[in-house]
Amino acid sequence: METIRNYLETMFAGMPNTPEVKKAKDELLTMMEDKYNELLAEGANENAAVGTVISEFGNLDELAEDLGLQKEIEEVHEKQQETARRAVSMEEVSAYFKAVRGRAWQIALGVMLCIICVNGPILTVFLKAGPEFGVLAMFSCIALAVGLFVYSGLTGKEWKFLKKEPCQIDITTANTVKEMRRNFRTTRVWMLTVGVVLCAFCWLPCAAFVFFGEIAPATLFFMIVIGVFLIVYSSIIEKGFTTILNLNDIKTISGSYGKEDEIVYSSKTATAVMSVYWPSVTCIYLAISFLTFQWHITWIIWPVAGIVCKILNITLAKED
Amino acid sequence: MVEISSDVIRGYNDTMILSILIKVPSYGYEISKQIKKISMGKYIIKETTLYSAFTRMEKNGYIESFVADPDPEGNGKKRTYYRVTESGTEYYRNKCEEWELTKDVIERFIEEKR
Repeated sequence: METIRNYLETMFAGMPNTPEVKKAKDELLTMMEDKYNELLAEGANENAAVGTVISEFGNLDELAEDLGLQKEIEEVHEKQQETARRAVSMEEVSAYFKAVRGRAWQIALGVMLCIICVNGPILTVFLKAGPEFGVLAMFSCIALAVGLFVYSGLTGKEWKFLKKEPCQIDITTANTVKEMRRNFRTTRVWMLTVGVVLCAFCWLPCAAFVFFGEIAPATLFFMIVIGVFLIVYSSIIEKGFTTILNLNDIKTISGSYGKEDEIVYSSKTATAVMSVYWPSVTCIYLAISFLTFQWHITWIIWPVAGIVCKILNITLAKED
Repeated sequence: MVEISSDVIRGYNDTMILSILIKVPSYGYEISKQIKKISMGKYIIKETTLYSAFTRMEKNGYIESFVADPDPEGNGKKRTYYRVTESGTEYYRNKCEEWELTKDVIERFIEEKR
């Protein structure tokens, strides 16, 4: 069935992304699915069934005529002839992600060094060393950071074409990348949460100055630096996924490959409620926490809100 | 084996679909299955041809679509069903007459098998 779906997607890839075209694609898929299932039920093997379904599909030119889409299709064809879209293969995409991970490290480390460099002078005071060591440490940090930025800029040049040239990925690649992004999601949420918490509470050691003494200002920067690293790193990786998934021309059906299937709610009210759900939870969390100052308990709101969200999604989602 | 060329059958896809829908409202695959069965497997309508015919006839007001579940117990996937309108029935009658005339004319030019 996956073959049939991919075949249909490929046939429609260059079609304009309009409601009529999408409906046509869905209807055709249903018909093909019905035929495929019946062939299987009649005892045909999978390959034979796929072959029959595809050979009896027909061609889209005829359909385009009846949908009144000839003009749009011609436009797409013309544009393709003017500037052919460069097809990006899965191998290239994998190589790109490897490069993105490398760049994420370089940039995040660079930013980290830029912030941490102020710790040089602070620590020299603490260690009672000469001020020249502090300044030296600070500038070496900055130099190293600049080196990292330059290096990542140079290595990133290879992939500039993704932004400059019109490119295209096929549906299989898009699905693989979406899967990768879904797998990364939990990691990203954790990195962001820990990052934000570290930045938000970096003042804690300073507040507890009595315990930490003169090293407190330095710990402040250490916390910020780790927080910033996590945020920058995860954001660059996420950006890499978005870049690949947004390659296709949004005016055509292939432009929707990168979109996640959104949950469709059964009514307008439900859609409205769900769109403000997480912002509301955040407001409630902050309000309760600041009013009661029981931060050690109030975090319970998050897991509870997560479960409630799942339940609401299931009950409010439109069937089919 | 001789196959029907799509140019020839083109004007009569609508007639076939309407003749099935006049009996009972139906959906895509079911209709294509009926066409195959009634034609004794001599004509298999392509999916794109079928869907084009649906959109065209719906635009012309010959058929109407509605969504329903083919499984009476309601645990199947929903499908778009089509039913014939009054003008569709009339159109069908005209097409039948037209075909009688066409057949009559063309037959006169066909060499009889002996």
